[in-house]
Amino acid sequence: MKSIKKPFQLNLLTAAISSLLLYGCGDAETTIIEKEPIVVPDEDDHDDDHGDDEFTIESMGRLAVLSADSNQAVVFDLDDNQLLDTFSLIHNSNSLTASADYRFAVIASRSNDYVGFIDSGMWREDHGAHLHDYEQAPEMNHLELDGSRPTHIVKHDGHMAVFYDGDADSGIPAAVQVLTDTDISSEISNIHTLDYPVNMHGVAEPVGEYLLSTVRRDDAENTSAAKILPDQVAVYHLHDGEYEQEQILEVLCPDLHGAAQNGHAVLFGCSDGILVAHQHDEEFEAEKILNIEGLNGLRIGTIYGHEESETFIGIAAGHGGGEAILVKIDPENEEMETLEWQPAADASPVSYAFAYEGEAFLILDSKGFLNILTPHDHDGETHWELAGSVDISEEDVSTMPEGMKFSMTVAENGHYVYVADPIAQHVLQVHIEDMEIEGDIELDFAPANITWLGIAEEAHEDDEHDH
Amino acid sequence: MFKISPIAALLSVLLPASVLAQSIEGTVKNSDGEVIAGASIKVEGSTNKVVTDQTGRFVIDGLNIGNNEFHIAVPGYAHLHQDVTLAKDENKSLTLTLSRSPIEVIDIVSTPIHMSVMESAAPVNVITGETLRRQQAATLGDTLEKLPGVQTNFHGNVASTPIIRGLSGPRVLIAQNGLDVSDVSRVGPDHSVAAESSTSQQIEVLRGPATLFYGSGAIGGVVNVVDGRVPTDSTTRGEWLLENSSVNDQKLASFNATTGTDSFGFYADGYWRKSNDYEVPVEAEAGHDDHDHDDDHDHDESHDYTVENSAEESSGFTLGGSYLFDKGYVGLAVEQFNREYGIPGHSHGDEAENVYADLAQTKVQLLGEFNIGSDWIKKVNLRTGFTNYEHAEVEAGEIGTLFESQTEELKVDVIQNTYLDWNGGLSLHYKNSEVAAQGEEAFTPPSTAQTIALGLMEEKHIGDVLLQFGARVERVTLTADNVLLPMLEAHGHEEAHEDQDSDEHDHEDDHAHEEESNITRVFAVDHEFTPVSLSAGLVWEFTQGYNLGVSISRSQRAPSASELLSFGPHIGTGSYEVGALFGMHQEDGETHIELTEKTIDLETANNIDITLRKSQGDLAFVFNVFYNQVDNYYYQTDTGLFAESGHDHEEDEHDHGAEDEAGHDEHSDELPVYIFQTQDVILHGFEAQVAWQVTSEFKATVFSDFVRARLKGGGDLPRTSPMRFGTQLSYENENLSAHLDITRYQKQDKITSTETETDGYTMVDASVSYDVPMFNQDMAVYLKGNNLTNTEARVHTSFIKNVAPRPGRNISVGVRGYF
Repeated sequence: MKSIKKPFQLNLLTAAISSLLLYGCGDAETTIIEKEPIVVPDEDDHDDDHGDDEFTIESMGRLAVLSADSNQAVVFDLDDNQLLDTFSLIHNSNSLTASADYRFAVIASRSNDYVGFIDSGMWREDHGAHLHDYEQAPEMNHLELDGSRPTHIVKHDGHMAVFYDGDADSGIPAAVQVLTDTDISSEISNIHTLDYPVNMHGVAEPVGEYLLSTVRRDDAENTSAAKILPDQVAVYHLHDGEYEQEQILEVLCPDLHGAAQNGHAVLFGCSDGILVAHQHDEEFEAEKILNIEGLNGLRIGTIYGHEESETFIGIAAGHGGGEAILVKIDPENEEMETLEWQPAADASPVSYAFAYEGEAFLILDSKGFLNILTPHDHDGETHWELAGSVDISEEDVSTMPEGMKFSMTVAENGHYVYVADPIAQHVLQVHIEDMEIEGDIELDFAPANITWLGIAEEAHEDDEHDH
Repeated sequence: MFKISPIAALLSVLLPASVLAQSIEGTVKNSDGEVIAGASIKVEGSTNKVVTDQTGRFVIDGLNIGNNEFHIAVPGYAHLHQDVTLAKDENKSLTLTLSRSPIEVIDIVSTPIHMSVMESAAPVNVITGETLRRQQAATLGDTLEKLPGVQTNFHGNVASTPIIRGLSGPRVLIAQNGLDVSDVSRVGPDHSVAAESSTSQQIEVLRGPATLFYGSGAIGGVVNVVDGRVPTDSTTRGEWLLENSSVNDQKLASFNATTGTDSFGFYADGYWRKSNDYEVPVEAEAGHDDHDHDDDHDHDESHDYTVENSAEESSGFTLGGSYLFDKGYVGLAVEQFNREYGIPGHSHGDEAENVYADLAQTKVQLLGEFNIGSDWIKKVNLRTGFTNYEHAEVEAGEIGTLFESQTEELKVDVIQNTYLDWNGGLSLHYKNSEVAAQGEEAFTPPSTAQTIALGLMEEKHIGDVLLQFGARVERVTLTADNVLLPMLEAHGHEEAHEDQDSDEHDHEDDHAHEEESNITRVFAVDHEFTPVSLSAGLVWEFTQGYNLGVSISRSQRAPSASELLSFGPHIGTGSYEVGALFGMHQEDGETHIELTEKTIDLETANNIDITLRKSQGDLAFVFNVFYNQVDNYYYQTDTGLFAESGHDHEEDEHDHGAEDEAGHDEHSDELPVYIFQTQDVILHGFEAQVAWQVTSEFKATVFSDFVRARLKGGGDLPRTSPMRFGTQLSYENENLSAHLDITRYQKQDKITSTETETDGYTMVDASVSYDVPMFNQDMAVYLKGNNLTNTEARVHTSFIKNVAPRPGRNISVGVRGYF
């Protein structure tokens, strides 16, 4: 912007001045360069009556993507789908999930006895008078867990339980560690830990101060066919930073594998049915829902639950994959039934998830279809029925590279699911209710797994398994 | 030979003139033939200065061959300029006769050309000595407010700043010993000036454009606080004072002292002042029919009649030293200045919360004068300053906003030898200041302003006429790397402001605010200005003892960072300020603030001043009229929108959980949005001062001043000082001096739509001082009374007139001494 020299406004006095003076014309020049804008917390929202929103951030969140090609993970900003940062991981074979409150990407490498964390940079703090959101650059957290064979990582209500299977060969027993996001961000040194005397392929469900965790008895007593699997569940209570056993549930659970909870009930998969634990005051009571005929002799080894859903979805499958049968488990009515919808024979499910308000159950299959089941009430019973399927891949699915598969993650602040496609090397954003693909993030590598990170819309429980 | 001559010429410029053997002796008398003791006789362009003895006699040696210009000054008399031509080895004897002047004449120090109330084309005031001590107040604005053409923006006794002919803020430069005082007082009326009157020697005021001497920030005038921190001689002398005032229980102690050896001078000063909330004759808060300040000050039911949160405590000390040599001096002084004061009216809807400011400044000045005495260059004046300033606004024990500034400045005046009767010099000026603010009221982004300037000032006597010319060209750069443009969620208030549906904004019924976007745009802004100032003036002594001064000038000013780049709440002015870099856009019935489409241009003042003076005799007067047209004048206009002040919302704080912050979302947290715009403005007015020395003891003065400040397109400027007139009666004999000042401030009814009229009032002040020589010292005890009628006086120029009237009746008792 260059100045325009204005002639003097003529009036008698200034005319006198200008006739006596030289025209000393000043010059003014302004250069403005726009820089990258900053997204600030919505602090000026005075139309809103509750102070909470003064400090909260409206954001789609972030997405962590684990590479299948290399030991690399990246974090994207889901507001503009921009790559925020790339992280080199220590080990080669990793799994990826989110921490209990979705702030951290949890990188686990079972074979390398390693669990590490990438801070997404987005989190919420409760400041008493208001909730305070933060949005910062992602960074590697320095906390590393080095328990032996970290396998099942289960999250519930702000707690994440990492189950270390231990190693029979080197005589390392199993253990459980429970962490909150605050523990991770503060890089806590004395992590709440439960140590077992033996190794096992177990699972632990955190329930507030309690921990429902599996017990492997002596092989002589153990009713499991595979002795590495536990057949009991015990209740542990946190005292002075250590978990102490308070109770062993009376109902046995042979070949225990898979667990989930929804705030009312904690379920464990057994070879003969589902162990259901309920809390009554300080005590837990257990009962069993026996397997039904529809399972064709298969057992339920994976269970999905959601805070907003009274019913659970169980997956029965033969060991090593093959046919999968989906069942609805209703702990209130002590009932189990196979779903009307079942995966097609040539399309094996590769990923399951509840949508963020429990309003849908999603099954991603190997053919590249996202199948969306929604619950319907019939005479007081919940039935899950197919609402629709979204074809998420235009590629020839037979060209799926060896060892890779589609993967997905559900946003915890809206009705979106993100689906990663290793063939097309992109991540699609799918609106669950509209069943439409609304966006995509291009990748320059094949994604092994993805997880949504950020500030969950409501403090709702979610329970997910990671293997 | 041919090659050598240019070098020889150059050498002759640099080398001092040959040994001087010329001298002069004489006597100074008044027009009644009585000898005058204590008259100072100065040889222009040298440090050669003598004082007449008890018989009025003096001797000066070492004068130049040819013309020597003498300047004779003594309190109570008009200054005398006398040219004396001397031949080689000549000794002359002469009698100098001085005329009385009831108007005290003191020269401005530190301008290359001569300036005083009686002898310059442009109008100036100087207060010094006892007058300064009598009028000194805790703030600079209140100290100077009795000068014609100068009023105060009275900010509750704690932060007042002078208003010169209706202009203040970034248009009036405050200097200390000629160097920018470097505080943040130019950007907020609640920010105190980091200069102290009680330790100063004299305070100079240049009324009207003074960009010629001080640059861009002086388009409306300059206030220069002068002290002797770098001593120019080593005569042992000093001054001390103790005072207690009733209205605010103020205690003041101050001193300054100079001493030294033949070659070294030493200086120290210090002061300490502490006061409580001051009493007022009526309830501090004005009637409830006023809404222009949004009543953010909660009404207090108590009837103790004080202005809450107007207490102050400040202290400062200065140490200086100089090396004195034949041809000048050079010295260094360091000052530490601390002030802590409540900010009345600076509350945020929460009564319990008192906001106070805590400011600290370290100032280093290096001053020097070198009388080169070569053929061409008479002397060089050097002024260098470095200041580090910090100003925290503290509320509830926590720093809400922190202002920081750092300034480096260099001024070199090269004074030429008289050439074809021309005197004057060349002035080089460099100033770099970095200002940053952080916190809730950091309404202006961090910026760096740099000025490089070259000026020339010349004067010449032709017969009875003194001609004065000046020109200055500057390069001002203003750089800000992170200018923020947030999505302002502003909206209209239909109900509260129905009195202001001016044509400037249309009234929308729906809220004009952004709904979802939280994006703040960021700009790197770089301004480069080249202001040019020119001035020409003459003083014509058309008959003995009378002169007519005419000064015309065209001055330019680069707008300041706060005028251009602001975007945020400013509680000191009770508004949400948006700089001129931004403009309002109407779109779909909603108002957005975006980058302006207008050119950012210089402000240009075309000013003419006419002064008629009678400088000698028992009756003296100075009449002054001025007409100042300021094109492209930067000023704030009301947008009719309101935005949240953002107060109480500290995002950088994590330990908030325990604090009870209930109710921070009140409507009273909103501020009206003011945006800087430019328009052509006309200011005109007069100042008049008549003094009559009735007897040698008794003197009567009457004065009046008036300014009319209006937009050329119609409308008035806000907070314009009202018309004023008054009398000052004084009686002075050997031991006693008594003063009675009565000043009438008229009603101000030339107002903008966002202000209210302010009633007139009459202030009656009196003082008596009695000399009691003790312990070989000149000591005086004194009694001062202010606002003796205990009248309610609300100051129209004050941003907080509705919550802080002037103090009620005050009696001060004090003692001071000189040695």
